[in-house]
Amino acid sequence: MSARVFLPIDAGALALGADDVAAALAAHASARGIALEIVRTGARGLYWLEPLLEVARPEGRIAYGPVSAGDVPALFESGFLDGAAHPLRVGRPEEIPFLKRQTRLTFARCGIVDPASAADYEALGGWRGLKRALALGAAASIEEVVASGLRGRGGAGFPTGIKWRTAAAAQADRKYIVCNADEGDSGTFADRMIIEGDPFVLIEGMLIAGYAVGASKGYIYTRSEYPHAIAAMNRALAAARAGGFLGADIQGSGFSFDLEVRVGAGAYVCGEETALLDSLEGKRGVVRAKPPLPAIQGLFGRPTVINNVISLASVPIILAEGAKHYQGLGYGRSRGTMPIQLAGNIRYPGLFEAAFGVTLGELVNEIGGGTATGRPVRAVQVGGPLGAYFPPALFDTPFDYEAFAARDGLIGHGGVVVFDDTVDMAAQARFAMEFCAVESCGKCTPCRLGSTRGMEVMDRIREGREVEKNIALITDLCETMKFGSLCALGGFTPYPVISALTHFREDFTRATARHAAAE
Amino acid sequence: MPLIKETDYGTPAIASEKTISLMIDGMTVEVPEGTSIMRAAMLAGITVPKLCATDSLSAFGSCRLCLVEIEGRAGTPASCTTPVAPGMVVATETERLKKLRRGIMELYVSDFPRDILTAPANGNCEFHDMAGAVGLREVRYGYDGANHLDAKKDESNPYFTFDASRCIVCSRCVRACEDIQGTYALTIAGRGFASQVATGGTDFFTSECVSCGACVQACPTGALIEKSVIAAGQPEHSVITTCAYCGVGCNFKAEMRGEEVVRMVPYKDGKANHGHSCVKGRFAWGYAMHRERILKPMLREKITDPWREVSWEEAIGRVASEFKRIQARYGRFSVGGITSSRCTNEETYLVQKLVRAGFGNNNVDTCARVCHSPTGYGLKATFGTSAGTQDFDSVDHADVMLVIGANPTDAHPVFASAMKRRLRAGAKLIVVDPRRIDLVRTPHVAATYHLALRPGTNVAIVNALAHVIVTENLVNEAFVRDHCEWDAFQDWASFIVRPENSPEAVAKVAGVPAALIRDAARLYATGGNAAIYYGLGVTEHSQGTTTVIAIANLAMATGNIGRPGVGVNPLRGQNNVQGSCDMGSFPHELPDYRHISDPAVRRIYEDIWGVKLDAEPGLRIPNMIDAAMDGSFKGLYIQGEDIIQSDPDTQHMIAGISAMECVVVQDLFLNETANYAHIFLPGSSFLEKDGTFTNAERRVNRVRRVMRPKNDYADWEITQLIAQALGYPMHYAHPSEIMDEIAHTTPSFAGISYDLLDRVGSVQWPCDANAPLGTPVMHIGGFARGRGRFMITEYVPTEEKSGPRFPLLLTTGRILSQYNVGAQTRHTANSVWHEEDRLEIHPHDAEQRGVRDGDWVKLESRSGATALRALITDRVATGVVYTTFHHPDTQANVVTTEFSDWATNCPEYKVTAVQVSRANGPTEWQETYRQHAEQSRRILAAE
Amino acid sequence: MHEYSAWDDERASEIITPWCTVEGGMLPALHALMAEFGAVPDAAVPLLAQQFNLSCAEIRGIISFYHDFRSTPPGRHVLKLCRAEACQSMHGATLAENLLARLGLTWGATTTDGALTIEPVYCLGLCAVAPAALFDEVPQGRLDVARLDRLVTAAR
Repeated sequence: MSARVFLPIDAGALALGADDVAAALAAHASARGIALEIVRTGARGLYWLEPLLEVARPEGRIAYGPVSAGDVPALFESGFLDGAAHPLRVGRPEEIPFLKRQTRLTFARCGIVDPASAADYEALGGWRGLKRALALGAAASIEEVVASGLRGRGGAGFPTGIKWRTAAAAQADRKYIVCNADEGDSGTFADRMIIEGDPFVLIEGMLIAGYAVGASKGYIYTRSEYPHAIAAMNRALAAARAGGFLGADIQGSGFSFDLEVRVGAGAYVCGEETALLDSLEGKRGVVRAKPPLPAIQGLFGRPTVINNVISLASVPIILAEGAKHYQGLGYGRSRGTMPIQLAGNIRYPGLFEAAFGVTLGELVNEIGGGTATGRPVRAVQVGGPLGAYFPPALFDTPFDYEAFAARDGLIGHGGVVVFDDTVDMAAQARFAMEFCAVESCGKCTPCRLGSTRGMEVMDRIREGREVEKNIALITDLCETMKFGSLCALGGFTPYPVISALTHFREDFTRATARHAAAE
Repeated sequence: MPLIKETDYGTPAIASEKTISLMIDGMTVEVPEGTSIMRAAMLAGITVPKLCATDSLSAFGSCRLCLVEIEGRAGTPASCTTPVAPGMVVATETERLKKLRRGIMELYVSDFPRDILTAPANGNCEFHDMAGAVGLREVRYGYDGANHLDAKKDESNPYFTFDASRCIVCSRCVRACEDIQGTYALTIAGRGFASQVATGGTDFFTSECVSCGACVQACPTGALIEKSVIAAGQPEHSVITTCAYCGVGCNFKAEMRGEEVVRMVPYKDGKANHGHSCVKGRFAWGYAMHRERILKPMLREKITDPWREVSWEEAIGRVASEFKRIQARYGRFSVGGITSSRCTNEETYLVQKLVRAGFGNNNVDTCARVCHSPTGYGLKATFGTSAGTQDFDSVDHADVMLVIGANPTDAHPVFASAMKRRLRAGAKLIVVDPRRIDLVRTPHVAATYHLALRPGTNVAIVNALAHVIVTENLVNEAFVRDHCEWDAFQDWASFIVRPENSPEAVAKVAGVPAALIRDAARLYATGGNAAIYYGLGVTEHSQGTTTVIAIANLAMATGNIGRPGVGVNPLRGQNNVQGSCDMGSFPHELPDYRHISDPAVRRIYEDIWGVKLDAEPGLRIPNMIDAAMDGSFKGLYIQGEDIIQSDPDTQHMIAGISAMECVVVQDLFLNETANYAHIFLPGSSFLEKDGTFTNAERRVNRVRRVMRPKNDYADWEITQLIAQALGYPMHYAHPSEIMDEIAHTTPSFAGISYDLLDRVGSVQWPCDANAPLGTPVMHIGGFARGRGRFMITEYVPTEEKSGPRFPLLLTTGRILSQYNVGAQTRHTANSVWHEEDRLEIHPHDAEQRGVRDGDWVKLESRSGATALRALITDRVATGVVYTTFHHPDTQANVVTTEFSDWATNCPEYKVTAVQVSRANGPTEWQETYRQHAEQSRRILAAE
Repeated sequence: MHEYSAWDDERASEIITPWCTVEGGMLPALHALMAEFGAVPDAAVPLLAQQFNLSCAEIRGIISFYHDFRSTPPGRHVLKLCRAEACQSMHGATLAENLLARLGLTWGATTTDGALTIEPVYCLGLCAVAPAALFDEVPQGRLDVARLDRLVTAAR
């Protein structure tokens, strides 16, 4: 007999032994004389079920998970290839509540297709956005993106279409499209998933951007911490080039565009767009002062559109389905869907793409199922290492740029990291300063010196030395960093610190008593 | 005058017709579009706190002290990086801003030494000023946190120290090294809290640093500071003067304590240097206080006797009696004088006046004879003016630079920085030089074409460039028809198209591929504004004048004359070589290059000098030497020049000088020529006198006295004393009176006076009724001589050919840290960079001769031999060797020949056929020479 | 596991050459040197400066900015342990501290037998399977003492 199964090659699945499972499957299949085709897909983003093995059945795919190499013999015994029952059987993936309640636009194909197969991509509606863009023309394509209300998914939330307009209007001998795939925020992995699971959607997005603003060259700047994403992206670029979707005169449109992956070298600050550009130019990844805006003077001094992976990966569906469809979803001024990443100490960690507006409480408790350790949730950091810590008291906050800002927070790149009641929030505040110190580019004073002083002040607080005086000092320092820093690294580091102090002050004063006793 | 502090507007001026109106702290301000808020505020008299911003560098935005609030905008943007916008309403001093600035300053101070009383920068430290300005009163972080206070000092540079514990990582030094100097010797190493200023090497001295001082000047904290300031303390007054080294003519602020120079700081409003400097002008001025400097007049009967210190009266009296005796015995023409290109215009004017009016002959010459005399001749003949056509700033408009026989990064460093800035901005570069000079490839700059020609083939190459331009119809015929003599052009064109001038033919002669010559010619002719810069590599040849003319032809044929960005620009070697020529230092010319045989011109001077002038041109230096050999020339007054070391064929020079009966040397030190002198008159340094220097762009700059002459008299006063002793009346009370006489008698100086110079800083001649503020660019709308004149430039190979006995060609040049004969630089710490002359030789030629790097080698020509150590490098091509001529113990000119330019006798320094072989040390001749020098420098203590 | 070649100027120049004509080729060149030699030592500075026509100072500034570019090669195996918040929330910090203590290492150090280098890393995008690490480029998720021990044994 012959059969076809799907197993993720996503780094998260690999981290849980997906390759061992693949090996075991192959071995047992041949031992049993079964012609087994193992298709390596991206991940659907249900990480508590990874490695998630799916079997192709006439009625659709049947999933089993989490599968370990040791489970493989039993799976064959129980006839999983026929979709038979087994303790690990989770049935039709689409029916899993976590997936069922999502609105998957950007991630529609992720976890389903073979990320190296251009054919898969086309079969599942790929390139429709590009074709429509080419039909609409450059200017109209830009207006389509403007009308969709798409805002930068990197965190700043600046309207993507406006950036494109500016770059399109700028006159220059050449222009660039740069994809910011330097996904460094703890608690985020959406960029990695797309690149590893559906890289063609990013390529299509960048093609549309290039066509719209009149650029002929694009770069995808990603992290050396993402070796598998780099490999997946390069495989996809090769396939796209072979398929005539990159290079000269793409699909006979007369439009020429090519793409290259560039790899950072261990610098979180290069996620900041101007530092990224300097790094891409081969320099120290130091933040540039703005103006000039990259859209006017960016890479190598040329007009440059620099967008986050998810922003660009959302463009094809916007063009394919039309701005209205995308704009119709969302909350307030946050339109469309947001791939939210549930991470850390959470029972159902994974990627949850939904229209803006879902509350933090729903995300953590209903969708995420509370903590993985089973202990009470104490704090949730939203938006990465520069994001604020929210207490359960603020769980009614809807996922929306403005709503989070109103509560001195930010949604950033959509990462949600859950902590249980064992967390020491003063230690987390101290770490925020430490992280800033480790990653500061060193250009501006508040960040270069402030982060180190912040660590020292937090140490004194945690040792219970002159706590009130030092709390006042750290508060002033945060003010200096927030309004004095050149970029968001120094400017947003105060968010986790001040939110921890505001909502969990007891962790800052706890040591006072001990210290007093000691003296 | 008190200590001059130029206003720092924080960010550079913006040139824009459109002006923007905005409101800052309730004041309405109008500034050019693109101006920063910070500069706009400064212009309105509102000082915004700052540390990383300075108006010599583009905005950086790192210190964050200059934050402001803008109505309707979120946050607190930095005023240095935020441009003004129409109707903007800015507040620079709100409570919130005050608090932010204190917070930032508090961070700075928590990692800064607290030795405010003993800090070398104390009293002149932007950092301390800012702490005060923002009202910082306490540092709540304490001082026990992480810091850089133990960072070790880098004192490796002889002139300045880097104290990392005082560094606030504002990057001003790094940016100055990159943007202003263009060397990129500094960087920020590491990142975050660990960020620190670093070089590419282990310390400043061993790094790529060229010690220009730009970083020191940019430093706001004293982390980088002059050692002289650490030693002497902060200056209390300053005087604007002009550097006495190369022909760039940088203006400096001499910053003083009483009569002690604390430091020389390049002057921001200096029109030639715009606030930049090089290691010589910035730091190498200590020679004026060097213990070996001679401060008392000295006499001796025979040159084998020791020197005897005497009074000025006795010395001057001896000069007069000797010259009278000699003229009585050998005739009026048996004496002469040599003016100095290191001295002021007023002083050279006076020396030639002394010779013409006092000695009664025209035996006056100058060291320009051995450098740029062909420039004077060639440009006069073709354009009508013996000088460069542009100002230095013209380079900012050049699209193509053609550099021939010049090495600006070493010889004209401050202008080289301007060139490199323009090249980084996209201008193209063609280098014609036997040697791979730095400009060919240096960080962020690379020549599009390097024509590494065989020494002595300049004319052939320039002709070949012209051949391509004519044969490929790249001539700007409209320009030629409008501005040049058409017939002369046609004659020239029919000459230049001849096959022997084709790149293919010339390739064989010059050893440069024909294709390369063609590409270079096309780029020069079609690349937009094309400017030619050349140096002694053009003039110091048997066909030096021919090359200058060929260059002029090239510029005329392509219409690259008469506007900014183009032109023919000789990079004059010495601070006042242009001036000494202008002032009538040549035996056949009175000031302004007017021929001595012209009775009308002579009459002008005869009227005010009250004497009859000889109508016959006098002797040139080489003629003086020959005349001395045949016994008809016996007395020579030499002001500030060392002809024994600087002129070619040393042995011949020595023989000539030795044959004279009275040689008077006036100099700062007992130079090589003084070894053969009978009377030594101590000279004065540029710090000790008033006057003017004229730089390579015809700019007349003021030199101002900052201290009394340590030798009692300024050089002009000494010349005047001699004249009086000879019975010729000279009674100038001040150099300004000499300048008035120059202006009165010299058309192109007609409008120049000290009052004017004090008012406007400097002017470029011609400065007259038509151009009361001088003439930056010449020949606009027409040539000085009416129509430009093309001249036939046939290539005639020099007699000096390499052969079996002397298979290599020697060419000579300068190095950054040393200056010409080194009289000044060898008496400063600059010698740590270049303590001896070395012979550059290609690896192949070295291998053939079994020479290893650093070996002693004998350098021999048909004139003589010397020995020096080898430096193996592929900067020189095979068959070519190169050395500098800064050190008397090398005496490079022992090997150079008597060949010289057909028109001007400018020596052929740049081509000598030589052989190189291994040696064990200096030659016998060098040894005897050294011994004789020591002998003749003996001084008897005055009784 | 990596086998790195010993430093060799000629080989290094070969590696650099193709990159110095590529726009922004500096980081790729440095990564290529890392791949060959496991480090970018001081000896690389003049070579890079010469070929890219930049100053040695600039090269030094670039190399020292990025944490990836080591001046000496790492051990035969490299374990990159994530120190970021998501992994902290699953007590990754304690796990890491204990491991370092047990091996007597500090962050970035290599075991005396040259077998294992432990480097800190701030997020691997494996926040849904925290605590996480990369062991010779192989992702590791839901780390615990036992799994870490297995990795260390594998390294030695």
